[in-house]
Amino acid sequence: MEPDPASALSRGAARRLAVQREIARVLSPLTALAAAALLRLWLRLSFEDLRATRREYRRLRGENDAPLLVCGNHLTMIDSALIAWALGSPWWYIGHFSSLPWNMPDRQNFASTWWQRALAYVYKCVPVERGGSRQDVAVSLARFTYLLGRSEVGLVFPEGGRSRTARVEVEKAAYGVGRIVRSVPDCRVLCVYLRGDRQREYSALPARGDRVRFRLSLVEPKSDFGGLRGSREVARQIVTRLAEMEQEHLHARQ
Amino acid sequence: MEQKEIFEQVVKILTPYVKNQDALAAVAPETHILDDLKVNSARLVDVVLEFEDAFDLEIADEDVDKVETVGNAVELIQSKIG
Repeated sequence: MEPDPASALSRGAARRLAVQREIARVLSPLTALAAAALLRLWLRLSFEDLRATRREYRRLRGENDAPLLVCGNHLTMIDSALIAWALGSPWWYIGHFSSLPWNMPDRQNFASTWWQRALAYVYKCVPVERGGSRQDVAVSLARFTYLLGRSEVGLVFPEGGRSRTARVEVEKAAYGVGRIVRSVPDCRVLCVYLRGDRQREYSALPARGDRVRFRLSLVEPKSDFGGLRGSREVARQIVTRLAEMEQEHLHARQ
Repeated sequence: MEQKEIFEQVVKILTPYVKNQDALAAVAPETHILDDLKVNSARLVDVVLEFEDAFDLEIADEDVDKVETVGNAVELIQSKIG
């Protein structure tokens, strides 16, 4: 592991994150209701093996409080909500708020208007400007690694965006994911593969009434390389595992 | 190694990743790699890894954050090879 100097946040930035967390926690009964209304009432989604998935996540979180980064494949704009729903019930998160993952959405897509910024704030998001200046991206990464180092769970999509081929794309592995993992000592990675039965290509939302299936796999990616090369190798190991999980999913569905 | 030599090598490595050929034709130390040359930010890592191979050095993650222009890249490489 290589502690990243960028992970050292100023006191002001750390305090702002603590305030955001507290406001999000206080509002969580409302935000949980809104998420439930979106997923269950409006989209009428159902989830395969939900109890087993949530039980497994509770076990992982209860096992120890080592940093945990959730890495998912990415096909719809609400995948982070789907993954959060799969990993825990809204009511469980109220009592275990650290287990509700922080997200790192693209500022342009999810935080460009005041109401999007407000939603991102209360849904535990640290927006990042994809393709922005390296210094700005480094600040967002520093916030995220700071949170992971304090037993908060993080959630990222290591392909960097929704897959245009509807398949996990290993060559799209975003090196920043590797950087996060390598800069947080003892960071574990929970790969989550999700897919609705009617999800044929990438989309804004899952099809209404779809049945969503999940697979979980805990990995501890490592690299003997240092610097960028090491970060890229770690990112590739994570996305490769997601690609394997996709094959397992497709094979099981045949 | 001379700064001019490093500059030429850096431009050669950047060339396959450049989308704005006009900016490449007028490349200078102050040319911005992402904004002017329109190199895809996700490919910047591949570019820096090619710098590592070409100049036989290792660049830390945090050093990459300081590379905005072609001149920044040249200075970083020069500082590493001494």
